[in-house]
Amino acid sequence: MKKIVEIKNLTKTYGRKGYESVVLKDVTMDIYEHDFIAIMGPSGAGKSTLLNLLSTLDKPSRGQIILDGEDVTRVGNRQLSVIRRDKIGFIFQEYNLLDNMTLQDNIALPLSLNGKKSREILEKVDKMADMFGLSAHLNKYPYQLSGGQKQRGASARALITEPRILFADEPTGALDSRSSRDLLLSLKAANEKGKATILMVTHDAYTASYAKQVYFLSDGQIQCRLNNKEDRKLFYDEILKLLASMGGERE
Amino acid sequence: MSLIRLTMSNFKRNLRNYMSLVLALAFSVFIFFNFQCVLYSDSMEVLNNYNKDYIDLIVHALSVVFGVFLFFFIWYATNVFLNQRKKEIGIYIFMGLDNKRIGKMYALEALFSGLFSLAAGLAAGVVFSKLFQMVLLRISEISVDIKFSFSLKPVLITACVFMAIYGLMVVKGYVSLVRSSVLDMLSGAKQKEMKAEPAFLTAIKIMLGVSVLGAGYYCAVRTGDIDSLAYALAAVILVIAGTYFIYGGLIPWLIRKLTENKQYLYQKQRNLWVNNLAFRLKRNYRTYAIVTVLMICSVTVLGTSIALKQRYERSEHFRTTYTCQVVTKTEVDADEIQKGIEKENKVKYRSSIPLLSLDPDKLHSKYKSANYAITSESAVKAAAEEAGLPYESGSLRDNECVHLTHIMLMSFVPEDNEPVTIGDQVFQQIAESNVPYLGDLQNGMSVYVVNDTQYKKLQLLGEVLYLYNYKFEDPENLDASVPYLRSLAKEDPDRFVGVNLIRTEDKEGAWVRVMYSLCVFMFATLILACGSIIFIKLNNEAVEDMERYRVLQKIGIQRSTLYKSMKNEIRFTYYCPFVLMVLTSYFSIHAVGTVMKEDLLRINVFSAAAILLLFSIIYLISVRAFRKKVLD
Repeated sequence: MKKIVEIKNLTKTYGRKGYESVVLKDVTMDIYEHDFIAIMGPSGAGKSTLLNLLSTLDKPSRGQIILDGEDVTRVGNRQLSVIRRDKIGFIFQEYNLLDNMTLQDNIALPLSLNGKKSREILEKVDKMADMFGLSAHLNKYPYQLSGGQKQRGASARALITEPRILFADEPTGALDSRSSRDLLLSLKAANEKGKATILMVTHDAYTASYAKQVYFLSDGQIQCRLNNKEDRKLFYDEILKLLASMGGERE
Repeated sequence: MSLIRLTMSNFKRNLRNYMSLVLALAFSVFIFFNFQCVLYSDSMEVLNNYNKDYIDLIVHALSVVFGVFLFFFIWYATNVFLNQRKKEIGIYIFMGLDNKRIGKMYALEALFSGLFSLAAGLAAGVVFSKLFQMVLLRISEISVDIKFSFSLKPVLITACVFMAIYGLMVVKGYVSLVRSSVLDMLSGAKQKEMKAEPAFLTAIKIMLGVSVLGAGYYCAVRTGDIDSLAYALAAVILVIAGTYFIYGGLIPWLIRKLTENKQYLYQKQRNLWVNNLAFRLKRNYRTYAIVTVLMICSVTVLGTSIALKQRYERSEHFRTTYTCQVVTKTEVDADEIQKGIEKENKVKYRSSIPLLSLDPDKLHSKYKSANYAITSESAVKAAAEEAGLPYESGSLRDNECVHLTHIMLMSFVPEDNEPVTIGDQVFQQIAESNVPYLGDLQNGMSVYVVNDTQYKKLQLLGEVLYLYNYKFEDPENLDASVPYLRSLAKEDPDRFVGVNLIRTEDKEGAWVRVMYSLCVFMFATLILACGSIIFIKLNNEAVEDMERYRVLQKIGIQRSTLYKSMKNEIRFTYYCPFVLMVLTSYFSIHAVGTVMKEDLLRINVFSAAAILLLFSIIYLISVRAFRKKVLD
């Protein structure tokens, strides 16, 4: 399988020299095509920092991030925004749909701004809406949608450009359990059928159990990794057990 | 921390947010102060000697206009500012402040910015007041020596008027804050939801807008003479109402249609800015309508004043066709008089014409004018040839005549072609001519031109006078020849009746020029105000948009794309009112032109070009300010 992201000795420190606090310490991992990875860890473990570095929103102190064969830590700002546009998709905890346009226009936004043909965009929007169960809501404005629908809309918007990798920052953080499940099932479908590569940061074991692998981050280092063996419920228990043994908070 | 200290620190911290308010307020203070300065300056006193009543009237009318402008401008600026601040102020509620104290804090903050703006506006005003007066008088073509004088009265008046209006607005804001709930405040800066309007309501609005505006245009086209003045009034009301409905109905509908056409929407950056426009028009249409109407008004006022000036210059030209006119009882040698004149002055051209001065009883026409005269066609032709004036009419029939009129500043009287009875003979008026064959005397007389046979027949009805007209090379030097000209009638009263001296500097006309320059000033002010209203609105929207643009950048939208989209949106905001203004002002200026009998198309084009230039400059500044707020 093709390697999409290669992370080598990634270190991030904050503060003045001599008084630095280290947030990430020599993190090394590889992400392959069609992976669905969840990163778990307690607050302050460095989850968000790792995600920010990977999604090029922040620069590491040391180390390399090779995205699709290109070291993004050595690329200028202009080039970075092109990389973000073409290769990376984002979902945030707060849905970040634009409230002045319909869901359809929201999903179409990245493609329409990139000069794709209207017909092609419309077809793709329909496809994504279908995948995320939003076909009936396309003409609604965000304020007419539930939180879960908004988050699925945001996911559809993130995936419509067919990014090499999708980064999700606590995507279920603001959702109730039912909406969370709908969203995670959609993401899973996108991963399995749509062949999307997903990296998700979460502190919620239930959310993490939908992933194929779960990495545990603590004190800026990857402590261990669990692989999902087909059964989600078993995987969920496994995650809970591990969290208990690590002394992290249980939910 | 005491309330005052909190307020002070707020003010310092938010100086950038306050900047647009302070600038807007300072601008209005500046304009008002300059206007007051003119009123209380020495130059105005000099002008008042010319024609006090007219100038007083103009100045008062303009004072009212500026007062109203100041009121609305301050209202708008403070309102925008209050909404912008509500959210932040609302957060203090969580810190345990009650509404009253929050209201007080707002009032204090507003007071600081008000005083600051007043000081800034006055300071700028004092610095520029002399320049301003100089420009004003230069445009008026009036030469008055302006000393740099500083009097306290305009300062006091400006400060009082400003603080009174501003104080009122601050109190209004205070009351609105005290009365509003926490939720209101927190969502004060938030956008309202996009609610769909029932289709029939939209349809009614669109139809109303189009038909009312169309009716307004029709009325403007119909405006002409005295009978159709009601049309002018109807046109004003209909255009204002129509503009309002167009922004409330047709334009939002069109843009909504654009957002529904995905083939169009998904190209270029339209998905972003067209949607944004559609969303905002619902909230902003009143502002757009006000700006458009304000622009139409200012262009029309400018058109009127320029027409008045043109008309005045034309009548001035008419009056000064000759520099002096000698009236005699018998034919005299024109060379003899010229010789006398040429001792002091050179004659540029001259003409002579006999006039049959009629007893008013002998003439029956619609108007009772004290001075009636007739002259013959061949005499007019000869005089026209001598003075180099055009003569158009062909040969007159026995029952035809041409009425010689003069140029009036404003005339709602239609050309009248009713027959006139002179003696027992009825004449059909076939034309009116305002070519100054008789020069200044034509201003005070009604003269009919008949053919030579009829003239001979009618000679018995009155006394023939002979008119000898001279135009000097240097009309300014008329006074040198005055003793000679006066002596003619004194020394030889059998032949000479008198002399009409026409001086070039007519102080009567000063009011026209003062009005003209004040109107130009008002035009510039109002257009600038329109530009700044849009600017303030955009600045306010930029604050709302910061979050949106941050999100867009985060999801990987290129800055250059966002920049283009932003530019398109801002462009629409400035040029949409402009386009509607150009369309409407064509009709309004046309109406003014018809009433004033002047061709004003050029003025229409030039004023539109001036506004376009100004708006383009403000647009560019706006784009920079917006970009700084949302993209940097």
